[in-house]
Amino acid sequence: MEDAIRLAGDILNSHLEEWRRAGGRIVGYTCVATPREIMDAAGILPYRIRALGKPERELADAYLSRFNCGFCRACLQLGLDGTYDFLDGLVENNGCDHLRGMFEDWQYAKDPAFFHYLRVPHTVSEEALEFFAEELELFREALGRHFQVDISDASLAEAMERSNRTREKLRELFSLREGERPALTGRQAMAVILLESSLPPAVFEDYLARFLEESERNEVRGYRARLLLAGSATDELALVGEIEDVGGLVVSDALCYGTRAFWNLPRLAGDPIHALAEAYLKHLLCPRMFDDYATRLDYVLRTARRARVDGAVLVHNKFCDLHGVENVRLRLDLEEAGIPVLVLEKEYGSGADLGRIRTRIQAFLERIGG
Amino acid sequence: MRFGGIDVGSLTAQAVVVENGRITGSKSIGVRPNPVESAETVLGMLLSELGLRHQDISYIVSTGYGREQVQAKGLAHANVSEISCHGVGAVWLLPGVRTIIDIGGQDAKVIRMDASGELKDFVMNDKCAAGTGRFLEVMCRTLGITLDELGTLSLKARNPVGLSSRCSIFCETEVLHYLQRGTDKADIAASVNRAMAERVAALARRVGVEPEVTMSGGVAKNGAVKSELERILGVRMVPCPVDPQIVGALGAAVLARKMGGER
Repeated sequence: MEDAIRLAGDILNSHLEEWRRAGGRIVGYTCVATPREIMDAAGILPYRIRALGKPERELADAYLSRFNCGFCRACLQLGLDGTYDFLDGLVENNGCDHLRGMFEDWQYAKDPAFFHYLRVPHTVSEEALEFFAEELELFREALGRHFQVDISDASLAEAMERSNRTREKLRELFSLREGERPALTGRQAMAVILLESSLPPAVFEDYLARFLEESERNEVRGYRARLLLAGSATDELALVGEIEDVGGLVVSDALCYGTRAFWNLPRLAGDPIHALAEAYLKHLLCPRMFDDYATRLDYVLRTARRARVDGAVLVHNKFCDLHGVENVRLRLDLEEAGIPVLVLEKEYGSGADLGRIRTRIQAFLERIGG
Repeated sequence: MRFGGIDVGSLTAQAVVVENGRITGSKSIGVRPNPVESAETVLGMLLSELGLRHQDISYIVSTGYGREQVQAKGLAHANVSEISCHGVGAVWLLPGVRTIIDIGGQDAKVIRMDASGELKDFVMNDKCAAGTGRFLEVMCRTLGITLDELGTLSLKARNPVGLSSRCSIFCETEVLHYLQRGTDKADIAASVNRAMAERVAALARRVGVEPEVTMSGGVAKNGAVKSELERILGVRMVPCPVDPQIVGALGAAVLARKMGGER
């Protein structure tokens, strides 16, 4: 598993380089509302953009304000400084306004050969589903046109079947993580998710089989408390490492770089575009959705109970409007349900703040008797 | 049996020894370049004053920013966060206290304790310096006064000025502006203390303020900040019966007694 963490710590890993050498194309996206299967069906590698806690912002700050979320600014920085030049295109969507600003500045500054805006409704209704299905059709057409590839229903069905297999195994692996004797750390689990969205799908399937085999024999020991980690887009392996270093084992999460990316997505079957529209829109557990707070709370509570956590850490980056507000409500509701909560507002990727973060986590563990 | 607590903060370091339920001695110094050196120095000075050796202390707990390094160096047997230590120290001194407002050099915390003396909840400022001792230091430097003078000078204020920003950098600019306009330093000092209190009060409201309330940390010595906090929060602070800066180290010593096995 430690090899996996090292691999997940690279923006451009060796498998991607190999993929590119063989003439493969890679398209970047950020939000979990993006049906990766459409890209996979086109033979394009869907890559979920991440910043991995990198603190540099100087190029991005010329475009985005300092009052934008640090994650978005860090991703933009990596787009502008050439780190992401290996991408053959970008898919923007309206996850939040900070993210849109990030993509549009990237497009303005770098003018990528392929840029597609995939609009995702903010509500779930028959009309919204119909709209989203049309958007997915437009996405399929745009990809096919630009990359000169026919994305047939048959190839989509094949990609969906691969997703089904992967999700099933991910659930199996994460169940081992949540078990009475946790088989992997939160840092390892985050690395698995980061790999899932940065490796050729077939390569990840092989890795996943290996992780499962290793995890069945493994047991994490020596922790003080079992924690749930939830909140805004968090791809910082170092942050999870800090939490675990002071004794809080992250046995489950409700993060979009975590269980929210796969746990509750249904088995994909039937008409591909409609099946994808329904799966992705109906199960999008992000506060960018209107009126769905009860569903999101239910997901967090179920996850917390299933993983038998001693407490929850709700994290958000400074200026993350969506999760900043959501975490206030979540905190009150989780505490009422008997789950102690630590709300951790932080500067994305700030190493200088880690001491203060450690203090808060340690005090929280002391508070919950860990 | 004797128990010790070492608190290495961002600006000062303290050591406390307790024995038979009483404070035997305490020491406070300005920090050295690294936390281990600070801990060695402050503990060494205190032990020397008390005529004791390190091995005469049965169990030591370290706290503050340097807590892990101090333990790793073998100066302490365990480390506990300063949040718990300030809470435990305050309740040990004042059993009726439920809320502790601790303002140190680089952070401010509001700590809630329950009736059994356990940590119930807490809130800590983010990495911004506003609302911490550092904010007051910067303002004092701009005003050309000492930290001690900041509290007493503001008692002479007649027309405190408005400071529109809680950001230390912007606030410094505003203070300069008032100085250039010839505004009385006392009026500016009072406004600085008020700005500080407002910032910390906002933090306190996030966890709720349950009486009795007391203050710990270096800024507790500034009477003007304390009275502004009382006014804004609508509470009377219970005075800390010892130097408020040693409360963290005291809490560590109290926890050392608990962890070290004395009943």
